Amino acid sequence: MKRLKFNKTSCIGCQLCAQVCSAYKEGEYIPSKARIAIETYYDRGELKYADHFCILCGICARNCPAGAIKMDEYITVDHDKCIGCGACAEKCPKKVVRIRDEKSYICDTCKGDPKCVKTCPQHALTFE
Amino acid sequence: MTMMGYQNKVLRVDLKEKKSSTEPLRMDFARKYIGSKGLAIRYMYEELKPGIDPLGEENKLFLTTGPLTGTPVPCSGKLSVAAKSPATGTMNDCSIGGHVGIKIKFAGYDMVIFEGMAEAPCYVVIEDDKVEFFDASDLWGLGSHEAEALLAEKYGREYSIMSIGPAGENLSNMACINSDYYRQAGRGGIGAVMGSKKMKAILIKGTGGVKVADIEKTTDRILEILHEDVLQEDNTYVYDEGTTAFLEACEDGGIVPFKNFSSANDPEWEKYNGSVLLQYREGKRGCGSCGLGCGNFLKIGNAVCEGPEYETIAAGGPNAGIKDPEHIVKFNEVCDNMGLDTISTGDTIAWAMEMTEKGIHDFGVRFGQSKEMLEMIEKIARKEGPGADLCHGVKYCSEKYGGTDFAMQVKGLEFPEYEPRGSWGMALSYAISDRGACHMRAYAPNEEVFAASIPPYTEKGKGKMVYELQVSNAVKFSLCLCDFWGTISGNYEGMAELMRLITNEDWTAEEMFDVGVRVINIGRAFNQREGFNRAHDTIPKRLVKEALGGEGPAAGQRIPQEAFDDMLDQYYEVMGWNRDGTIPEEIIQSLL
Repeated sequence: MKRLKFNKTSCIGCQLCAQVCSAYKEGEYIPSKARIAIETYYDRGELKYADHFCILCGICARNCPAGAIKMDEYITVDHDKCIGCGACAEKCPKKVVRIRDEKSYICDTCKGDPKCVKTCPQHALTFE
Repeated sequence: MTMMGYQNKVLRVDLKEKKSSTEPLRMDFARKYIGSKGLAIRYMYEELKPGIDPLGEENKLFLTTGPLTGTPVPCSGKLSVAAKSPATGTMNDCSIGGHVGIKIKFAGYDMVIFEGMAEAPCYVVIEDDKVEFFDASDLWGLGSHEAEALLAEKYGREYSIMSIGPAGENLSNMACINSDYYRQAGRGGIGAVMGSKKMKAILIKGTGGVKVADIEKTTDRILEILHEDVLQEDNTYVYDEGTTAFLEACEDGGIVPFKNFSSANDPEWEKYNGSVLLQYREGKRGCGSCGLGCGNFLKIGNAVCEGPEYETIAAGGPNAGIKDPEHIVKFNEVCDNMGLDTISTGDTIAWAMEMTEKGIHDFGVRFGQSKEMLEMIEKIARKEGPGADLCHGVKYCSEKYGGTDFAMQVKGLEFPEYEPRGSWGMALSYAISDRGACHMRAYAPNEEVFAASIPPYTEKGKGKMVYELQVSNAVKFSLCLCDFWGTISGNYEGMAELMRLITNEDWTAEEMFDVGVRVINIGRAFNQREGFNRAHDTIPKRLVKEALGGEGPAAGQRIPQEAFDDMLDQYYEVMGWNRDGTIPEEIIQSLL
């Protein structure tokens, strides 16, 4: 199974990954709704990295009480079944599941062809 | 009338009354000036009455995004920070990177305008449509880095922070505004304007977005532009080396100032070359929506900075007669934390060094003295000892103590680190720039030195060259694009395409070019209203009277007065201005 990989030393923190994710998934440039949140930032003057992206661990699927989340080669969320309980978001080790209007939104790696990887200008994100 | 890409909303913050309001963006202005630099100047022309005190309550601080801000258009993460300058009395628009511009857009605004003055130190927190005011008495007096650390701890990293250091609080003409620790709106005392409003910091968080007409088609095309145009060798040097690469290029052309522009090219420049500095690099960082990533985060000994950029290397090193890379990084760090522009601060101390060496006035600092130089930065920021004078910059100090011939400034703004005797077009560029000596208006060394497309030591052709460079940058910066996307410079069709993609309206290459000319004119019109004309478009006597010293290729050059005057005539002619440097009334009317 191919997964997103992040090489932080190449990341410049431009957040184009989140911009483009939200464009194709939400129809708007709105990183607050993106299914990836990778950033670099300075904390007391030190360079730090935050890497919220789906690693296809499947914990969300295993913890969904409504059986709304399935994982094969990628994650799918059945919004007809999703009850918006937030169990997936709570258990997600990468803190990348977003709950909005009582529905769960999770990265589906653009069905195995992730746009964020194609976008990343410094190849910090790969899919392998 | 609205346009895609804009939020069509301006946030106006009244610091005196601690109130805020919103209003529609003047789309008639946006059509003619697009955003960022151009839009900010148009608003200043409209709202800042002639003759106001830059540090009085009638001056305003304009934070201006553009239609491309918040989209994945590469290199679009810059924000214009503008006000009337206390250093020059001209209009002053600065460009700051980081993420703050994008946060403003996502909070739902094209512009934020700060008005009036708070009675006591405060900071302002903007989260989408919520604006709150807080007491900043505990933060007042702190370095910018310390203040930002405390605020980040309290509010979390979803907020972008802009702050001033003690220099801004103490109204220095050289005070900058910091963001994200290491990014600055640097020049013309913009930090003093924020300080005069008693505003220590601004925090901004935005959870909204930007809409365009056909997002899939638009995004597909933007990604093509990113990979095919932006990420090519002519631009990617900024990731590999950043502006540290300019030191060697400028040495090759003989235009790196040494000891307050008394000569060029320190023979020992390789001691602090990029190849040395970058051995200490710990990471890379770009602005939001960048792609290129120019920032070098590095540490040498106990000195830390993102940079140092070429200007800072030259200002903190050779122009002060210092050759130690750790000193250069420390100079950068202390200036940032104190909230001082490295260019003006470095130049002012270098001038004080020459004054001391020549026995004209003893400022207690001489060429080559690292410790004294670093201590002087804090004295300037806190207005202590000689800092009480030096904080006003070289124009003020030279008028008080002498040494005007080698006070390297135009209109009160100190020289960036390019020796004009080795790049004559830069003399013209500094002289006619809308805010005094600035290298970001028309970057002459690119043609005269790096590309060698025109001979450097002549006045011939320089009026047109500077005009063309200046128009291109005026459009780029009104699109809020970063300077480092070099391959879009002069590509007006490329810039028009970006506007078509985001606004879904027709924009032609000719219209983009016209925007650039208009932006130059509106800046000039603002300054003309303040009393500026040809008499102020001057260069320091040193460039005219003294042959350039040192061993570099430009050694022995000087710029004869007649050659300089001829360049001015050429430039005014191509701009359609009068010989006295004023703008004909019909041009002014066409700007409004």
